[in-house]
Amino acid sequence: MAAGLGFKTFQTGEVLLSSDVNGYLMQGVLVFASAAARDAAITSPQEGQCCYLKDTDAVQTYSGSAWVGFDDSNAIQNSIVDAKGDIVTATANDTPSRLAVGTSGSVLVSDSAAATGLNYIPTLFAGKNAFINSNFGVWQRGTSVSVLAGATATYTSDRFALTTQANQASTVSRQTTSDTTNLPTIQYCARVQRNSGQTGTGSMIFGQSLETSNSLRFAGQTVTLSFYARAGSNYSPTSSALSANIYTGTGTDQSRVAASYTGDAQALTTSVTLTTSWQRFTISGSIGATATELAVIFISTMTGTASTNDYYEVTGVQIENGSTATTFQTATGTIQGELAACQRYYTRINAGSVYTFFCNGNAYNTTVATCILPLPVTLRVSATSIDTSGTASHYRLINGSTSTACSVVPALDQAATQSVALNFTVASGLTTGQAINAGANNTASAYIGVNAEL
Amino acid sequence: MIKINEYENSNGEAMVLIIDEANDKAESMTKAEYDRRQEQVAQSTPIDTEDE
Repeated sequence: MAAGLGFKTFQTGEVLLSSDVNGYLMQGVLVFASAAARDAAITSPQEGQCCYLKDTDAVQTYSGSAWVGFDDSNAIQNSIVDAKGDIVTATANDTPSRLAVGTSGSVLVSDSAAATGLNYIPTLFAGKNAFINSNFGVWQRGTSVSVLAGATATYTSDRFALTTQANQASTVSRQTTSDTTNLPTIQYCARVQRNSGQTGTGSMIFGQSLETSNSLRFAGQTVTLSFYARAGSNYSPTSSALSANIYTGTGTDQSRVAASYTGDAQALTTSVTLTTSWQRFTISGSIGATATELAVIFISTMTGTASTNDYYEVTGVQIENGSTATTFQTATGTIQGELAACQRYYTRINAGSVYTFFCNGNAYNTTVATCILPLPVTLRVSATSIDTSGTASHYRLINGSTSTACSVVPALDQAATQSVALNFTVASGLTTGQAINAGANNTASAYIGVNAEL
Repeated sequence: MIKINEYENSNGEAMVLIIDEANDKAESMTKAEYDRRQEQVAQSTPIDTEDE
C-alpha cells in the first residue's frame, strides 16, 4: 500500500493521477456493514488499511497479516470498576487497581501501608461538632448532680442542663459507657435518671443550648444530629421512647432548656426507641435561614412511679453541617480544649484539700474582706452569679497567723469576664485595709463556682 | 429551707444571696439577674405538649 499524501482539495478539471488515487483516495476509512462484508470487498488488504464496521462500531486496521482492533490491552478497562464511587489507583508501576469508596463522610488520605497507597479514614477533625462537652468528659459541678423536682434548667454535666417537673427529683451522673464495640472512642456518658420512687410524669428536658456565635454557621444549612443512647432496665416512657430535637430561635444567647426561644422553631425531631444496648441515632434536616440560636433537646416522657433504673444514658452528641453523620468527635478534639471551652461558661474552683487558698484581697471594713479571684479562662460575658457551698464555716480568712472562720458564705461583689471580686464576711476582728487570704476552712468540700451560662 | 438575703455590693448595687441549707448550696447575683431568672421560671413553657 502506497504511503499517504495527506489531504487535497481537487479543482474542477484537474487531472486525477494514479498517485493521487493511491496517496489520497486509498487512504480513507472504508465503511462496511460487517467484517464479512469487508472481507468480501477487500480480498487483498494492505498493511495500514483501515475500516469501520457498522455492526460492532469497531475501527480496525490491517497489520499485514490480520485485521486488528484499535483497542489497547494496556489501557484501563471498564471492568476495573464495579460500583459507584470506585476510583482507579495503582498498586505498583503499570499496575492499576480499584479502590472502593469509603463509608459516608470519610476522607481519602495517602497511606504507604495500604496496597494502593490510599486509604479512607473517619473525619476526626475538630470543629465540625458544635456541641461542647458532647462526650460528657467534663463535670465541674461533680460527677453526680442532684436536680430538684420542678427545677428549671439546672446545669449538670458542663453545658448540659435538665428541667424537671413536679415530683421528678432526678440525678444526672457520669457513667462509663462500658462499650468498646459500638462507641469505642467515647469513655463516658450522662445518665439522666428520675430518682426511684418519684411519681412525677411528663417531660423531663435535657439538652444544650448553643450561644448565637456558635449557631450562625447552621443558619440556612442542612445539618445532621447524631447521638448514642440506651435505656435503663426500668426506663418508664411508653415504648422506651426518647424524643430528640433541634430547636432554633431568632434571639440571642437564650437557654432553650429553660424556656422557649424567641421565634421558637422545632427544626428537627425524631422519636427513637431505646434498648438497654447502645445504638447510634441520626437525623438530618434544614435549619431556617433566620436562625440565630440552636439547641439539642432530649425529652423523656416519664410514666408511673420510678423504679430503680428509670433512666436513659446519652453521649456522643454531635451536630454538623451536611446530611451525613460522620464519626463522632468533640468540638475541640482534646480534653483540655473541652475543659477550656466549658470554663468559658462556668468555672468551679474546688478546694480539693482542706486548707486550699482561693483568692487574695484586703479588708473592706471590720467584718468584710473583698478578694479577687482570677479566672483560668475568659468568660463569654461578665459572671452572672457565683455559687458556693451553703456552709459559711467552710470558708475562712487569714491574716498573718490569724485564721477566722466566715460567718456568711462568700458572695459576689463585682463581676467581670476575667475575674470576680468576692465578699468574705466574718463576725468581727478585721482591720480596714489589711491584707487577707481567703480559703477553705478545714474541708475539702469548699468551692467557688463562677457562672456565665446561657 | 432556702434563705434569701439582700445586700449591696461595693458599688451600691442591689445584690441577692440565696442559701439552700438543705442542699448545702448558696448562690449570689445582682438583684436584676435574680429578677430575670424568676421571670424566666414564671414564663417557662419550654416544650409544647404535642412534643411529649
